[in-house]
This record gives sequence, C-alpha cells and structure tokens, in this order.
Amino acid sequence: MTNTQSYFDPLLFAVLPYVVFFTFFLVTIQRYRTRTFTYSSLSSQFLENQRHFWSLVPFHYGILVVLAGHVVAFLFPRELLLFNSRPLRLYILEVSALIFGLLTVVGLTAAVVRRIREPKIRRVTSTSDWVLFALLLFQVASGVYVAVFHPWGSSWFAASVSPYLWSLVKLNPDFSTIAAMPLAVKLHIVNAYVVIGFMPFTRLVHVLVVPNPYLWRKPQVVRWYRRPGTMAASKG
Amino acid sequence: MKNKATPMPFYLVSLMLLLPIALGAQEAAAFFQQNCASCHTIGGGRLTGPDLKNVTQRKDREWLIRFMVNPKGMIDSGDPYAQQILEEARGVVMPAVPGLTPETAASLLDLIEEESKLPESAFKGLQITDRPFTQREIELGRQMFTGDRGLTSGSPACISCHTMKGLGGLGGGRLGPDLTRVYERLQGRQGLGAWLTAPATPTMGPLFRRYPLQQDEVLPLIAYFEHSAQQGGQDTSVALLNFFFLALGGTAVALISFDAIWKWRFRAVRAPLAQGGRPRGET
Repeated sequence: MTNTQSYFDPLLFAVLPYVVFFTFFLVTIQRYRTRTFTYSSLSSQFLENQRHFWSLVPFHYGILVVLAGHVVAFLFPRELLLFNSRPLRLYILEVSALIFGLLTVVGLTAAVVRRIREPKIRRVTSTSDWVLFALLLFQVASGVYVAVFHPWGSSWFAASVSPYLWSLVKLNPDFSTIAAMPLAVKLHIVNAYVVIGFMPFTRLVHVLVVPNPYLWRKPQVVRWYRRPGTMAASKG
Repeated sequence: MKNKATPMPFYLVSLMLLLPIALGAQEAAAFFQQNCASCHTIGGGRLTGPDLKNVTQRKDREWLIRFMVNPKGMIDSGDPYAQQILEEARGVVMPAVPGLTPETAASLLDLIEEESKLPESAFKGLQITDRPFTQREIELGRQMFTGDRGLTSGSPACISCHTMKGLGGLGGGRLGPDLTRVYERLQGRQGLGAWLTAPATPTMGPLFRRYPLQQDEVLPLIAYFEHSAQQGGQDTSVALLNFFFLALGGTAVALISFDAIWKWRFRAVRAPLAQGGRPRGET
C-alpha cells in the first residue's frame, strides 16, 4: 500500500496542483471573455423555495467559514499554533470548525436531495452539476471525517500542510511533510485539486463574481410575469 | 526491478525528486543523525534497534544494504537473520527511510565502520540520568505536551497529533498514535530520549528536522511519558465522542438559529408555477 501511494505521490502532490491551477486560470479567463453570461450560479429559487433555504443557507455559511479557516491556517500557521497553544482555545476552535463543517454537509445533502426529488429542478440540472455535487460531497464528507477521526487538524495543518502548500507557491514542491498522512487526508487534498481544476467548467465560477452583499442583504422578491401560452417559448 | 514496468514520465519525476547519489562523510553523518539515531547508537547500546557498532563484521555489506533499503520486504521474505532482528526488537519493524537508496546505504555503512573504530563514537546516544524524576519535571512535561508551555523551536505541541490517557477536556489529537505507553514501546529512557532528539517517522521527521526539540525539553517529556506508562492503560474514545456530539449539538443550534434569523423569509413562491407551470387561466 505504502509503495503504491508513494509511487503516485509526486504526480498527485507535485504535478497535479500546477496542472489544476493552470487549468483554473486559463479556462476561467477564457470563459469570462467568451461566455460572460454563463458566470452565474443559475438560481433555481423561483422553481422551488421550500427545500432551497435549507440547502442554500447552511451550505454557504458552512463552506465560507470552513474555507476561511483553511486560508488562515495557510497564511498564518505560526499565529494559529500560538492560538492553539492553550488546549481550551484549541477545543473551542475545533468544535466551531466542525460545526461549520457539519452545516456544510447538511446544506449540500439537502441540495442534492432537492435536485433529485424535484422534477423541475432535475430538469435544469446539467451533467456538470451532478459531477460537481459528487466531488463536493466527497470533499466535505472527507473533511468532516478527517476532523473527527484525525484531530486536531487546525494544529497539524499549520505544522505540516502549510509548509507543503507554501513549497508549491515557491515553485519548489516538497511534499515530505504530508507524504505519510493518512489516506483520508491525502484523498481530501487530491480531491480539492480536482475540484479546483473542474471549477471553471461548472456553475462554481459564481464564487469569482459573487455579489458580496448576498451575505447580508434583505431577501429580494423576484416577480415572474408571463403571458398565457408562452411557457414553451420561454423554456431553455 | 520495479521500475522496469514504470512509465517513463513517472520515473523521471520520481528520479528528479529522489536523486539517488552517494553521500559525503558529513552528509552521511547528518543523515544518520536525522534518520537513524532515534533507534540506533554506535557503541551506546541497544535502543529500539540494535547497536550498530561493527555491524559490517556481523553481516556482509550486500545483505545489510538490501535490509536497509527495504526492511519490511526482507522480513516478509522469511530471511532468518531478518527474523532474528525483528525478534530482538520485540516485533518493531524498522520503517522504510525516505530517500535511503542503495548508494546512501553504502555511505552510511562507511560511516558506521569509521565510527566503530573510534573509542567513543559521536553517535553513542544520549546519556540520561537514572534518578527518579521529580513531580515538577513530570508537570513540566505535561505542559509541553499540551502546549501550555511552548517549545523553544516553535514546533507544534504533541497534543496536535497525539493523545494520552488522563489528558482531560477533549483529549489529544489522533493523527499519530496514543502515547500513553510510548515509554514502554521505545524501551525506556534511552530509547525515548534518542527518539525525541531526532524523531524519524515519515510524519515527524520532516517537521522536527526544521524545529528540533532542545536537550532540556527532552528530559521533562521523558518524565511525563514514564509517569504515564507507570499509570498504564490507554486513552479511550470517549473524548472523541464528546467532541463529535458537542459539534452535532452546535450544528442543531445553528440550524434553529438560521430558521429564526430568516423567519420573515419569502416562503410561498409562485404556487401556480411550482405546481405544474401551467399557463395562467388553466386549472
């Protein structure tokens, strides 16, 4: 097992990141220039608004906080370790992080269920959406698994994963600090790369142009005016 | 052997990252200190692994190199001498050392031969006091373990990845093994001391090479581990369950809060559309 893993390690942890980042930058730019109006999360709220709330809200607040946590650990590893040097602070941080991780799982699961069970929503769901759902579900599920079974991630991320990520930024990839991580952690990292690489081909590009006031603005009512008999014409 | 079936690009990438070249004497010494000294001495007696003084007189170099490069493979092959080594180490299999190529192994054997000739090798290991540890030392070690007392080099506290029985709170991390009885596993003060001076596992090695523990930090940690091993047992999963259920409860509270915060949200969405999308006027 170890041999097979270490055999693919250079490819997965030193080559794949660059491939996905190049794909990400080139395709997002190209898509923005040629198909500007596809830069959207393609709201389906007007088709179904009951389950929508329970997928949209927990998922977005969950993932935003969890992602912010990853970014902080990447940018300020030493400060994070210093913060975690009191066990109580470490426990509070980890419990909070897991709460937001679980909220992400709840929201994403609700979103998938909604897409499967609502015929109208299913009709506006593309293949890339399904692939994206599968990738994201795997990502957040593996993240929660790692948080629960391999604590305390906030500390060991700062100590072992940050140096690896910085080595990628410095164009001198050194994955020795993560080479011996448990399989779940490695899968979480590799799948993150896959999500980043796949992102420009999906509705996930909306994060790049997100209108930030979404986070706090009041709900907005969308009115739907349509003349009788125009349903077929307005489809698509 | 394995590389015969290897696709060329993979092989080249691996090759570039693991440059298999022979080491100079100084590099060999540094390699030994970082990767071998946690389990072996040269003339300082047995730790987890055997004392390597005059090892080239006990077994031929070719065999030793094969064992060093792939210890588990040699043991699994049923080689009688490899079996004997395993038995003497109480079943602890020597881990594969990253970057240990046949060329590096040969350089290390040269180093061991040279050091074996000296009356006192630089690698005879840490000499640790035999006196009983004081309560203060044990407490100091506990504080270093939990992070309450920061390590000089700035390395993460043990609790980040390891747990111990009786830690309290939500326990320690579980990326690495439970250390309650590590004192017994590493065969006492000498073995543990050598290990802490240069941790050699693939996870700890790269980290502690950058942020090594100081000599005066090793002693309190040994005191804490010795004390813990004397108490016996191992950590249970209760702390882990507490952690999970605490977060689960928090998630429920958050969901209830979301519902309350957005209680004025628009719920009744265009019923005619949602119920079939028939044009207005039809039923």
